Amino acid sequence: MFKKILIANRGEIALRILAACKELGIGTVAVYSEADRHSLHVRFADEAVCIGPSRSSESYLNIPQVISAAEIANVDAIHPGYGFLSENANFAEVCQASRIAFIGPRPEVIRMMGEKDRARAEVAKAGLPIIPGSPGVVPDEDAAVSIAAEIGYPVMIKAAEGGGGRGMRIVRNKRELLPAFQTARAEAEQAFGSPNVYMEKLIERPRHIEFQVLGDNYGRVIHLGERECSLQRRHQKVLEESPSTALDHTTREKIGGQVTKALEAIGYTGAGTVEFLREESGNLYFIEMNARIQVEHPVTEMVTGVDLVKSQIRLAAGEKLSEAVGKVEFRGHAIECRINAEDPDTFVPSPGRITTFRVPGGPGIRVDTAAYADAVISPYYDSLIAKLISYGKDRAEAIIRMRVALDGFVVEGVKTTIPLHKRILVHPDFVAGKLDTHFLERVGLAEAKHA
Amino acid sequence: MAKKAKQAPAGDFVGGVNMAEVERLLAFMEAHGLEVFEYQHGDTHIRLRKAASAPVGMVVQPAAPVQTTPLAAAAPVLPAHAPSVPAAPAEDLHIVKSPIVGTFYASPSPEAAAFVAVGSRIESGQVLCIIEAMKLMNEIEADISGEVARVFVENGHPVEYGQPLFGIRPGGKR
Repeated sequence: MFKKILIANRGEIALRILAACKELGIGTVAVYSEADRHSLHVRFADEAVCIGPSRSSESYLNIPQVISAAEIANVDAIHPGYGFLSENANFAEVCQASRIAFIGPRPEVIRMMGEKDRARAEVAKAGLPIIPGSPGVVPDEDAAVSIAAEIGYPVMIKAAEGGGGRGMRIVRNKRELLPAFQTARAEAEQAFGSPNVYMEKLIERPRHIEFQVLGDNYGRVIHLGERECSLQRRHQKVLEESPSTALDHTTREKIGGQVTKALEAIGYTGAGTVEFLREESGNLYFIEMNARIQVEHPVTEMVTGVDLVKSQIRLAAGEKLSEAVGKVEFRGHAIECRINAEDPDTFVPSPGRITTFRVPGGPGIRVDTAAYADAVISPYYDSLIAKLISYGKDRAEAIIRMRVALDGFVVEGVKTTIPLHKRILVHPDFVAGKLDTHFLERVGLAEAKHA
Repeated sequence: MAKKAKQAPAGDFVGGVNMAEVERLLAFMEAHGLEVFEYQHGDTHIRLRKAASAPVGMVVQPAAPVQTTPLAAAAPVLPAHAPSVPAAPAEDLHIVKSPIVGTFYASPSPEAAAFVAVGSRIESGQVLCIIEAMKLMNEIEADISGEVARVFVENGHPVEYGQPLFGIRPGGKR
C-alpha cells in the first residue's frame, strides 16, 4: 500500500481524497496555488507545497511543478482527482517516468478514451452500441439516401469541419433529405471552407445515463450501476441521481454486463464512467468514457455502500477487486445537487467572501464541500462550492430529504444555485421522473439561449 | 443597522481604528510571542494576526487540531528539515523568491564554492543559486544589483513556489 500520496487538485475533491487517504493510513501532501493558501485541503493535509500563482495553467495544470512537489515530498503516488490533469495522458506518462504511481488508468487507455472518435471505434469493436451514423463523410446524394435509410429517421446532418449549428440540419423523413443535404453542404462550404458533412441518428429528448465501473490490474472490471445526469445546463451537469427511473433491473444488468465485458477487453483499470444517451424507445448509445473519478460519484457511493475513492487507491496499489471492493449491492436512492457560486437565474458567477455557511445534516444527508464561513471564493477556478447529497430508502424519500436539506442550507456573501435546486425538486416533471437533457430549458429554469 | 464606533481623539484615528490602541496590542503580542490576538469590547472587535515570521517552508509542524486554531490559519508547509534561519528581516530587503518547486543548491556542484554568500556584491542577472526540478538544474538569477544580506535556505533543502531565498540590500551599479 502507498505510504504517501500527493493530491494534485483542490477544493472539495481534494478534501475527499484526503479523507480516503487518512482512512487508509496514508500520508497526504497537498499542492496549492497562491489563491488557495487558506484552503481546507492545505489545512488538513500532513504537508503542503505551494506550486504557483493563482492561474491554473501556472499551478494545478503545471506538470513540472506538480511532479517537482511530488519529488521533494517523496510521495509514492499521485491522485489527480477530476478535471485538471486527471485525463492528461502525458501527465500519467511523466508520473510513470518519475516512478510515481498515477492513480488512474494507464496512459494509453487515457489517451484512447480522450480521442472521442477513437474511443467510439474501440468500444464499438468491443461490443457496445454507439450512435448509428455514417462511417465518415457522406460522399454524395446516393450515399446520403442509403445511409439515412440504414440509420433510420430522424437523422442529423453535421458539418465535418466545424460546429455551432452551421452546416447542421435535422431531417425527419426521406422527402426532406436531399434538399437538407444540399443546403447543409453549401452552408458548410461557406462557413468552414469545406462542404463535407457526416450523418448521425438524432436522439430526441435523450436521457444522459452513465455507468460507474471499477477495474483492477488483473483484468477484471465490475460495474456499480448507473447514474442519471440528464439535468444539465450548457452541457454542465446540475443534478444527478442513482438509480435512473428509466432503467429496470434487467436493463441495468444487461447494459452493465456489456460494459464490463467491453472494458475487460480494452484492459481498463481504476475508476471510470461510461456515458450513454438513452432514446425514448429505450435504446442506449455510447457517447464517451471518462477515465477518472467524477464529481457525482457520491450518489453511487450512497446506493452501493462502496467508497469509490478508497477503492481507486486500493486498486492502484495492486489489490484485487474482490479484496478492494467485494460484492456490490444496490439499495435505496440518492440525489446530488451541485451548489455553485452563481446567480440562480442568470448563472453569472458570484465570487466573493462567504459570510454565512450553515450546512444541513441528519439522516441521509451528506455534504461534500471545501467552503466555510469567511472563505473567499476566488474567480480563478470553477464555481462549485458544495455538493449536497440526499439518500432515502426510495426516490420519494430522497426527494423529500433533499427539499428539507435545501431549506436548511444557508449561504450568504455569495449567490448560489440553491434556489434553482429548490425549484427543480418541486417541479412535477422532476418528481414524475420525466427527464431529458433539455429539462431545464423545457421547464424554464435555464436562462434564455443567446442568439 | 451597524452601530458607529465610539470616537477617540482625532490624532489616534486611522480609518475608524484607534492606532494607539492597536500599537499597544501589537507590542503586547510581541512581548508575549503571540501569533493571533482577538479582542472584543462593546462595539469594537479587533483581530490581529502576525504575518508568518517563522522560516517559511522549513518548520517541522504536525497538523494542529482544528479546535485550537482559526480554520484558515497558516498551512503546514513542507517540513522534514530543521529550521534553517530565524525570524524575518528587520530592514526592508528585496526578497528573491523561488519561481519553482524543487531542491535548492547554493553552489554549481558539490565540490565548488557557493555562488554567493552573505556580503557578496551582486549584479542584476547574476546567478544566485540552482534549483533542481525533475533532474533539471535551473539557474536562478538576481533581478536587482546590490549586496546579499540574508540567505534563507540551506543547501540541499526543498523549496516551494514563492519561498524566500535571498534578501538583497539594493544598491550599486547596474
